[in-house]
Amino acid sequence: MKSQTSRLIFNEIRMLFNQFKQTIKTPSMFLFYIITIAGIFFISIVIVSFLSLGSIIYNIGTMLEEVIQRDLIFAALGLLTVTSIISGYFGLGPAAVITTDDENILLPAPVKPYQVFISRYLRRILRKSIFAVLGLVSILPLLTSANLVFYSTAFMLVCIIIYLESNYFLGALSSYLRIKLNTRFKNPLCHIIVILLGAGVLLLTIPQLTSSFTAAAIFPSNALGFVLTETTGVFSLGVGYQIGFLFQLISFALCFLLTANISSYEYYELFSAVKGKEEVEGNFSRIIHGEVDFSSSRFNDPSIWIMLKDFWSRLRSPFQIWKYIYAIIGGVSVLYLNLFHPAWFRPFNVPSGIQYAIVPAFVLMMILFVQMSSVTSMLSLVDEKENVYLLKASPFRTKDIVLAKYLLSLFEVSIAVIPAAGFLIYILRIEGYLAMITLVAPLTILFTASGVAIGAYVPVITNDPKQLPIPLAFSYPIINLGLGSFMIFLVALFAKSVLILIVLPAYSLMLTFLFLSLSSRAINSYK
Amino acid sequence: MIERANVERMKNDELLRLARVLKVPIDQREIRRSQLIDDIMKAVELHKESQPSGEELQTPAIHIDGLVKKYGHKIAVFGLNLKVNPGEIVGLVGPNGAGKTTTLRVLTGIIKQTSGNIKVNGYDTLKEPIKAKSVIGYIPEKPTCYPSLTVKEYITFMARIYEVPKRIALIRMRQFVDMFQMDEYLDTYIGTLSKGNLQRTLLIGIFVRPPPYVLALDEPIYGLDPRGAWNLKAYLKRLRDEGSAILISTHILEVASDLCDRFVIMNEGNVVGRGTLEELLKEHKRTNNLEEIFLSLTGGIPK
Repeated sequence: MKSQTSRLIFNEIRMLFNQFKQTIKTPSMFLFYIITIAGIFFISIVIVSFLSLGSIIYNIGTMLEEVIQRDLIFAALGLLTVTSIISGYFGLGPAAVITTDDENILLPAPVKPYQVFISRYLRRILRKSIFAVLGLVSILPLLTSANLVFYSTAFMLVCIIIYLESNYFLGALSSYLRIKLNTRFKNPLCHIIVILLGAGVLLLTIPQLTSSFTAAAIFPSNALGFVLTETTGVFSLGVGYQIGFLFQLISFALCFLLTANISSYEYYELFSAVKGKEEVEGNFSRIIHGEVDFSSSRFNDPSIWIMLKDFWSRLRSPFQIWKYIYAIIGGVSVLYLNLFHPAWFRPFNVPSGIQYAIVPAFVLMMILFVQMSSVTSMLSLVDEKENVYLLKASPFRTKDIVLAKYLLSLFEVSIAVIPAAGFLIYILRIEGYLAMITLVAPLTILFTASGVAIGAYVPVITNDPKQLPIPLAFSYPIINLGLGSFMIFLVALFAKSVLILIVLPAYSLMLTFLFLSLSSRAINSYK
Repeated sequence: MIERANVERMKNDELLRLARVLKVPIDQREIRRSQLIDDIMKAVELHKESQPSGEELQTPAIHIDGLVKKYGHKIAVFGLNLKVNPGEIVGLVGPNGAGKTTTLRVLTGIIKQTSGNIKVNGYDTLKEPIKAKSVIGYIPEKPTCYPSLTVKEYITFMARIYEVPKRIALIRMRQFVDMFQMDEYLDTYIGTLSKGNLQRTLLIGIFVRPPPYVLALDEPIYGLDPRGAWNLKAYLKRLRDEGSAILISTHILEVASDLCDRFVIMNEGNVVGRGTLEELLKEHKRTNNLEEIFLSLTGGIPK
C-alpha cells in the first residue's frame, strides 16, 4: 500500500506534467515560451557580439578582492538570511504553499498537514529547477562568452537556489515562533524576539567564525559564502568547495525536515485567516487616505472615472500605499544626495580595470530601473481580475479603457522611476550622464505602453484574467530590454545629427501608439 | 458491494482494466463482453472477503457541542449545538453571514473552533482529525478544484486519498459518471469545466468512496441543471435511507424543504429555530411554509 505522502507527490507531479502538456498543446502559450526562450537566446548572441564578457568576468575577481573584504560577502549573505527570517516571522510559513483548491480538497481530506506541505513544496522546487535550467540554456551564448562552463554555472545556480530555499525554511520556522508566542503571550513586546533572533544570526557571520573553516559553515549563508569563495577563487581558503556544498545540503535538509515537522493544523487556520483578509485594506493606508468617497467626483469623462476607480481601489490595497511613500521618501533622499553629496555615502569609484564597461553598465541599469518600475503597468488590467469583463461590457469605448489604464500607469511608473534615476546619476557619475538620463522619459512612456499591452493579452491567452502566465511575465522584460537597447542604438547612431530630434520621438511615440492599439485589439477580442 | 448491474454498465476498456485489477486471466485473443463480465463477477466473489465491509456510522454521526468561532472580535458562530444521526438529512438554513459556511468549515477541519467540541463518527475533530476526516465528504460554497487535472485523474486521486480499493473505485466512477452525465468530460481538464460540471466532478469525487458518509454540503445544488439536481436529491435520499448522515447548508428553501428531515435556522451566528417542518409550523402559527418560518425568524416577513 502506497503512503499518502507518495500519492500526494505523484498527484503534484501529474499536475505539473499536465501543465506542461497544456502549454505544448496551446498554440499561444507554446509560441510565447518559444519566443521568450529564443528571444533571450538571440539577445544573448547580440550582447556577446558587442562585448566580450570574458575579460569583464576575469577582471571582476581581482576587482572584488581590491574593493571589498571577505567578511563583507559573508555579512551580506547573512543579512539576506536575516531579512528572510524577519519577513518570514510575519509571513505564512508552510501555509504559503496552500492554495484555495487545497483548502477545498485536501484540507478536509484525511491527510496530514506535513504531507500537504511536502508534496506541494516538492512541486514548487521541481518547477523552479526546470525554469532555472531553461533560463541557463537561454543565456548559453553569454556563458560561453564569459568563459563560464555550463556545468559550473548550473552548479552555482543550484547552490544559490538551495541557499534561498533554506532562507525560506528559516522564515517558515520563525513564523512558527510567532504562532507559539501569540498563543502564550498577550504582550506585543514579545515579538522583539525576532530582532534578537536576527542579531543572533548575524553573529554567526562575524569574521572570527568565517575567516577559517569552522562549524559555523553549517549555517546556510556561511555555507554559500564558502561555496562562492572556494568556487570562484576570490578570497579562497583553499579548502575546496565540496565541503561547503555538503554543509549547504545538510542545513537545507535540516531546515526542510524541521519545516515539515512544524506544519500543523494551525497553518490551515492561518491560511484561511490571511485569505479572508487579502482584499481588506491595511490600517496604515486607511489612515493616510481617510474616508474619501470618489463617487461624488464632478468628472464625467469615462477615462477619468476609470482612473479614479483604479487609483482609490489600489490605494485601499495594503501594499499600494508604500509605493507612494517610497516615491516621496526616495525622491527627497536622492534630491538630498545630488545636492549635498554627503560624505557618508559617496558615489561608486569605478576601478580602472572596468572603466570601459561603465557606460554600457549605466545604460543597462537605466533600462532595468525603468523596467522594474513599469511592472505596475503590466498589472493594471490583470488587477481587474474577472472585473475586466465587466469593464469591457460597460458603456465605455475600448480606447477610453486603454487610455485610462495607460495614463494612471504612466503616473505610477513615473513616480517610481524618478528616485531610481536620481540614485543612478548620483551613484554612477559618467561623462554626459545628464544627457543620458533624459532617456528615462521616452523609456518610461514606451515601457508603460508595452506593459499595458501585455496585461491586456492575459485573458486572450489564458481565459483566466487574474493569472499572469509565466511566459508572458518573462517576455515583458525581454521585450523592454530589446526596445530599450534599440533606442540606445538609435541615439548612438544619430547622436551627432539633428535628426535625433525626430527619430527618438518618432520611435517612442509610434511604438507607444502601436502597443496601445494592440491593447485595444486584445480587449475587443475577449470572449 | 459490487453488483453485476454496475459492472455491466462499464465500458469495454474499463472492463479490461477491472479484469486486470482483479487478476482475471485473459488468454484468448478475443473475448465476449458477457463472458468477461462473468469472469469478473467470479473474481469479485473470490475477493468478497477482502471488500470493505461498509461499517455503520456511530450515533450521532455529527455531534457539535457549544461551538463558538470568532474571527478576531467578530463572532461568526455562537454556542451552536447540533446532532445529526445516521439516516438523517439536516438542513442548515440562514441568511448570508449567518455562520453556516463557518460551521461546515469547522466541521470539516479546515479551520479550528474557538471553543466547543465536535465529533464526527465518534472521533473528536481536534484529537483524531484523520479518523474524523476519513468519513467526511465536503462540497464547498464556491466549488474549486485543481485545474490541471482531468476529471478522471481527479476522481482517481480522491479514490487513492481515501484508500478506496481500485476495483471499487473503477465501478463506482462509472456509476456516478453516468448518473451525473459526465462521460464526455472524463478526459477534460477541470480548469475548463463549467460551474455545474465542476460541481458534478466534486460530487463524483465524494461518491467514488463507498457509503456510508458524513456529508457536509454547502449549496450542493448550486450550478446543477434540473436533471443533475434531481439525480443528486434522489441519491442523497437514498444515501440517507442507507445510513449516511447529511448536513446541508442552503439558501434554496425549496430544496431544503424537499430534502431535509430537520432544520436548524441560523441568524448572525445564533440558532434561532430548529426542528422538523411540522414542529416549526406548530411553533410559528402564523406561518404556512419553510420560507415564511425562515423570514419570520430572520428579520420578519416583508409586507
